[in-house]
Amino acid sequence: MVEKWRLLDTGLNNAFYNMALDEAIAIAKSKSLVPNTIRFFRWKPPAVSIGYFQSMEEEVDIKACDELGIDYVRRRTGGGAVYHDTEGELTYSIIVDQTHRLISEDFQETYQTLCSGLVLGLRKLGVPAEFKPINDIVSHGRKISGNAQTRGMNVVHQHGTILRKVDPALMFRVLKVPSEKIRDKMIKSVEERVTSINNVLGRNVSFRELKDALIEGFEEAFKIDLVTGNTTDFEENMAQKLKTEKYASREWNFRR
Amino acid sequence: MGRAEYKVKGGKLIRVHLTIENGKIKHIKITGDFFLHPEEVIEDIEQALKGHSLDEDELNHLIENVLKSKQAISIGVSPRDFARCIMMAGEKNG
Repeated sequence: MVEKWRLLDTGLNNAFYNMALDEAIAIAKSKSLVPNTIRFFRWKPPAVSIGYFQSMEEEVDIKACDELGIDYVRRRTGGGAVYHDTEGELTYSIIVDQTHRLISEDFQETYQTLCSGLVLGLRKLGVPAEFKPINDIVSHGRKISGNAQTRGMNVVHQHGTILRKVDPALMFRVLKVPSEKIRDKMIKSVEERVTSINNVLGRNVSFRELKDALIEGFEEAFKIDLVTGNTTDFEENMAQKLKTEKYASREWNFRR
Repeated sequence: MGRAEYKVKGGKLIRVHLTIENGKIKHIKITGDFFLHPEEVIEDIEQALKGHSLDEDELNHLIENVLKSKQAISIGVSPRDFARCIMMAGEKNG
């Protein structure tokens, strides 16, 4: 019998709940309360997430975010700052036991394995995608997905972003640039280094179509069945608590 | 206050902010887009660096030892990269 995992699609939520629910699922998984899980989610309002080790002031133009109604949040994973546009990107999370056959002690190997589900899904959609170490997926040499992983409590948690359409000018209104003089240069450089599904395919790909392709990709690459499910009361309660006490707090978001 | 930025070739970015007193590190904050597992070990590294003088080999050794004792690993940056960036920040402080 094919191994069954839970599929969650939590739709549109704010940054603080989104990050809190990821951690809540990891905690529930560590207590064996829930199956291995893949979650899709989006961000409303749009938000910037920064890596665990980044400085909010260094990475994010807080004034611009406040003016534009864009949230900012620190992730529990390392890596770089990401602008999560409501329409422009899809975010996924994988929460799986550390003892699972897909997980290696080696992080690099595990990135590659977990990203293989996304790579296959993107290829099914017609996007020539490949994994690029350390933690990216590229198409025609340009980044289309960034991923970040953490481990703890015998659970591996990887989340990442898949660009559906990209707006480098807006990206640099919310991310700090070293100086105004080089803003245009940075926008240009991102235009050259980053791409999106709509760019590659030259058409508008809906979130439904994208998610369906990724679901197939995960099922085939991981040799699993994804069964649509819901969050548990434990997860929702834990998410509310983590949202209030951690992810929406100034202490957490500005700690570095 | 000294600060420096160091981009590892094919790897990640490290930023260091520090203050030096009597030739030794008084405060230090390490930020960047690297990975370190478990993440909290960054605070152990910063704590261990306080009171140390600026010697790249010694800083490298010190960070290696913290990682070893905490069974931690860094990805996209090495203890040597941290040490180099700390040296760069220290020189700017002087």
